[in-house]
Amino acid sequence: MARKTFATGMLDALGYALQTDPTVAVLGAWSFIRDRGLPIEQEDAFFDRYGDRLIDPPTSESVIAAMATGAAVCGMRPFVNFGTSSFAFEAWNQMINETGNAHFMSNGQLKAPLVFHMYCGIRGGGAAQHSQSPQSMFANAPGLELVLPSTAADAQGLLRTAIRSDNPTIFLTHTKLLQWMGDTPDGDFSIPFGKADVKRAGRDVTVVATSLMVRESLAAAEILAKEGIEIEVVDPRTIVPLDSAAICASVEKTGRLLVAEEAVATCSIASEIITIVAEQSLHALKAPPVRVARPSAPLAYAPTLEKAVTPDADKIVAAVRRMLNK
Amino acid sequence: MSASLTGGERLALLERMLLMRRFEEEVISAAAAHKYIGRNHLYIGHEGVGGPALVQLGARDVTHSTHRNHGHMIARGVDPGKALAEIMGRAGGLCGGKGGTWHMTDPTRGFGSTSAMVGGSIGMSVGAGFARKQQGEGVSVALFGDGVLDEGISYEALNYCSKFSLPVLFLCENNSQEGAHITSMLAAKRLTDVPASLDIETHVVDGADAEAVHGCVRAALAKIRANSRPIFIEAQLARWPGSHQMRPEHTTGVTDMSLVWDEARITGEHADWVRHHDPIRLYAAKLLAAGAASKDELLAIDARVKNQMAAARAYAEASPFPDASAALENVFA
Ligand SMILES: Cc1ncc(C[n+]2csc(CCOP(=O)(O)OP(=O)(O)O)c2C)c(N)n1
Ligand SMILES: [Mg+2]
Repeated sequence: MARKTFATGMLDALGYALQTDPTVAVLGAWSFIRDRGLPIEQEDAFFDRYGDRLIDPPTSESVIAAMATGAAVCGMRPFVNFGTSSFAFEAWNQMINETGNAHFMSNGQLKAPLVFHMYCGIRGGGAAQHSQSPQSMFANAPGLELVLPSTAADAQGLLRTAIRSDNPTIFLTHTKLLQWMGDTPDGDFSIPFGKADVKRAGRDVTVVATSLMVRESLAAAEILAKEGIEIEVVDPRTIVPLDSAAICASVEKTGRLLVAEEAVATCSIASEIITIVAEQSLHALKAPPVRVARPSAPLAYAPTLEKAVTPDADKIVAAVRRMLNK
Repeated sequence: MSASLTGGERLALLERMLLMRRFEEEVISAAAAHKYIGRNHLYIGHEGVGGPALVQLGARDVTHSTHRNHGHMIARGVDPGKALAEIMGRAGGLCGGKGGTWHMTDPTRGFGSTSAMVGGSIGMSVGAGFARKQQGEGVSVALFGDGVLDEGISYEALNYCSKFSLPVLFLCENNSQEGAHITSMLAAKRLTDVPASLDIETHVVDGADAEAVHGCVRAALAKIRANSRPIFIEAQLARWPGSHQMRPEHTTGVTDMSLVWDEARITGEHADWVRHHDPIRLYAAKLLAAGAASKDELLAIDARVKNQMAAARAYAEASPFPDASAALENVFA
């Protein structure tokens, strides 16, 4: 076991991929490696070691996505870091129309094994354009795998799988998770897609949470435990593919479902999970399912307004109490 | 160049530029005092572009700005108290605290939407030019950095504008100089080669020379108003040493007006920027040397500006944070 930050976990996975696979190349290296709270010697060593495959392109997201796709189809495994997720909106057409469709349109002849990494979420003072949570937008585009890690170990293990995957993978890192410490297995390891992780077991309410909301749900669990309420925190880790069996199994046990998501509630991942549970495990539900997510409004800059709409541990605690009439 | 400016206009221009500078110094000091989250792109070092360019605009002229917008706001005469309050996330800010540092706007001063996306507003500037041409009065001024030419939309915007002869001044503040922190990667030898290839008239001007910018923009605006063709001006700037930081710091210190006449005291790590590139020091020194202003007049201007900023700071700090209910208001008109 090693103790490291989420950022270090990702860098270790990327380093291992660069070391073992000459087809891996990084587009947008600087903002993935620098300024992420890593020791400067570690950053420098990384650039020294893999410099020839660490590329910093112009501010041209559209062509970055396109060329990564073109290179992937021709045998490379590009890792693209767009920086803030809203910058990737510039590349929407390429990612959705080209990358996600290439394998299907060619009847399986073409493959685009690449990773589109981006920083998402409410970071504090990011206002409307620098606080986006685009997960459900990507989930709505067929052909793209979607990863939302919440811990250092998951970040490292899932990034290994993402780089090795023969499919295009969207990898969303919540900015506030970068410095979160966690235990990770030693050496090279990977975590398969489509396998949820029960981050905390409990009997009363199933709380499905992704990304930063896992941390908030675990904090909520501590508060609720003091009141004798035990929530089960289920982290799907990947949304595409989704481990709906694990989610339904938990709901079958607890009879109650709350989904915590930082994105806007409308047509969200939370909406999808509740739909799946309604389709497959409606009989198990003892209470209407609940979404703790953002109302449909752009995010404001002022701290009071940001806090008012940001899903957090307190809002999860309050929602669980309401569900249980406590 | 001074032929285009009267003595009074020259002093007024210097005063506006100094207000832009002291505004940013107040932003830095408010961040240091933890009055707000403290992340900005400051306009220090660019005052010699935005100042002389924007003071010339009329009420019907539209401006679109970027993440580096503070100076543009002040240059067009936006209330510094309301601008500072916005940066501090207060209800009394220009946008009620919703936009913040990156999205300040004031339509009463001719601003459209301000984007923090690189290339986010250049296309809207073309739309403003289209509107003003249809409406028969006013022009559009697109303010953007050199990095915008990395984005494909800049090509689309320039091409559309030229093809349809829209009245737009593209004013590019190029702060990428060799050897420094650069914000663009253009394969073209000159930045102006791009608009020139699309049949757009181009000019290059020294962005540290306020009167050169004033003259260049004045001539361009007159031409655009007369024949509704776009013009592209590249203002070349040495990068202010603090400008790549998101966390504002007094990288080159609080502006010391005595360095205008006491050059021997310019020392330290950033002496080169202060001596050769600080547009405010350079302009004040020029006016002093030309006899257009005395030391006392310069100090009196600075005192007025400082008073104005003290009042602005007091206004901003007294303004409350917006009530949580505002978070869901104004989503739709
Ligand atoms: C679409 C997009 N991509 C990337 C960024 C990140 N970013 C913020 S400022 C900046 C540099 C912009 O350079 P320039 O336009 O020259 O403005 P300057 O900051 O130099 O004034 C970049 C790349 C962004 N804001 N938007
Ligand atoms: Mg620039």
